[in-house]
Amino acid sequence: MTGETDVVLRASGLVKEYRRTRAVDGIDLEVRAGERVALLGPNGAGKTTTLLMLLGVVSPDAGTVEIGGHRLDRHRSRAAENVGFAAGYLPLTERMRVREYLKLFGQLYGIADPTAAIEEGLERFRISHLAEAMGTELSSGQRTLIGIVRATLHKPRLLILDEPTASLDPDVARRVRNGLLDLSATNASGLLMTSHDMGDVERVCERVVFLSNGRVVANGTPREIAAAYGRGDLEGVFLHLAETHDNIAAAQQTDHP
Amino acid sequence: MTTAPEAVEAVASPAARSWLRIRAVARRHAYVLWRSPHRLFDVTLWPLVDVMLFGSLAKFVGDGHTSRGTHAAAYLIAGIVLWHVIYQSQIALSTGFLEETWTRNILNLMVTPLREVEYVAGVALFGFVKLAIGVGVMVLGALVFFSFDTSSLGFGLVPIVAVLLVVGWAISLLVIGLVLRFGSGAEALAWGVMFVLMPLSGVFYPVDNLPAVMRPLARILPTTHAFEALRSLVDNRGLDWGQVMIAAIGSIVLLALSLWFLVVMLARFRKRGYITRYT
Repeated sequence: MTGETDVVLRASGLVKEYRRTRAVDGIDLEVRAGERVALLGPNGAGKTTTLLMLLGVVSPDAGTVEIGGHRLDRHRSRAAENVGFAAGYLPLTERMRVREYLKLFGQLYGIADPTAAIEEGLERFRISHLAEAMGTELSSGQRTLIGIVRATLHKPRLLILDEPTASLDPDVARRVRNGLLDLSATNASGLLMTSHDMGDVERVCERVVFLSNGRVVANGTPREIAAAYGRGDLEGVFLHLAETHDNIAAAQQTDHP
Repeated sequence: MTTAPEAVEAVASPAARSWLRIRAVARRHAYVLWRSPHRLFDVTLWPLVDVMLFGSLAKFVGDGHTSRGTHAAAYLIAGIVLWHVIYQSQIALSTGFLEETWTRNILNLMVTPLREVEYVAGVALFGFVKLAIGVGVMVLGALVFFSFDTSSLGFGLVPIVAVLLVVGWAISLLVIGLVLRFGSGAEALAWGVMFVLMPLSGVFYPVDNLPAVMRPLARILPTTHAFEALRSLVDNRGLDWGQVMIAAIGSIVLLALSLWFLVVMLARFRKRGYITRYT
């Protein structure tokens, strides 16, 4: 059973416009402790803008974000203590060894001696042998794994991942999925992730939120959503929504040449 | 039913966490210097080149053994040593931030609990190390090559150095604000602004010698009054507390304006989603 206190992320009425384009148009979102949620949608649907607002890096034009009971616009630092974030495209901090890099971020999250957390994180993803490597010596897959270890050092109540398995080989992608499931089970961290790999989403996430043109158009389990759209799986729903998204974008282009 | 995450051994008090983050940022920048030896040029070689250049010039103008020549020589060498206080403090903070933009590390930092003031304090903290190395090299160079003992100017240097430090930080906050707003195109200001400030501040001469049109601008700069106070020390007239007070008030006003500007630019950075420039 879950209650109000289990909510680790609550976003209400998020709106963001860039140069008269409404990238996010009134999104409400909740993630509960231990819950694994995917934020999906075609390119331009508003996923990245939404994530950046949830992380406090972009300020919304309207709406509020609350993480671990802390309003992001009023107590950004306290709210951020409850979040871990990783993305495949984020570089590791240069001129540091992996262990030094992880120690830096562990301390930024308030852990005086993160040694044990670093060992545990590296072990979870089976990359302990990379501890003394320089960030620039790592492959993109290894960097992604290190990024996830960094994001989970402080056992955050909410883990936000932007395309964590993008451009990973199947073995590393499987390690990421297994590591995330393990984290969710042991830490009860809420997980919010974006992905374009519907197979990954179905294997990791128990709930899916579909965005299109900056709005939530579907919210439920993968099976519920597939059934609601009359498709066999999430990929079918994705393709259908992407086509709709393109049609709406084309219509808007015609209305406002 | 879900269980709460097992607590990691986080530092308990907010003040201790803040200090931990400041030290972490300082250590990150120590790694940058340690693993990029060419950056030592900024804190050792260029200061040494400056002391050689201005020391030689000072020797040349002082060779006539006239009173004015001797004073001009001392102004030159004391001026360049103290100029590096403001230069090094400004460059350390500005390039510390620019390092984050060059390595696309801004998003990594912005999603952590690190507060802006903690970041600035961390970079400035390590900036002290760079400052100590840079100015130390100059003081030593001036003593070894030109027999100019900077310490002979006495404790009166302390408030002057403090004012110059604050001005250096204030200028770097302005530069960081401009980079946040205008992107990498504004980077050149990190170095260029110092070349504008140097002649206007009368580092080597009283600003009465500037073209008349520039004097009003020069006189509102806190650095002008700091270097005026320095010359009173060089002339053995003791510390001119009047000039020091004007410089101190000016530097605090400048710092407050710079902080305000940075806060406004950071809000705009978040509002307009400029983070996408660095992802």
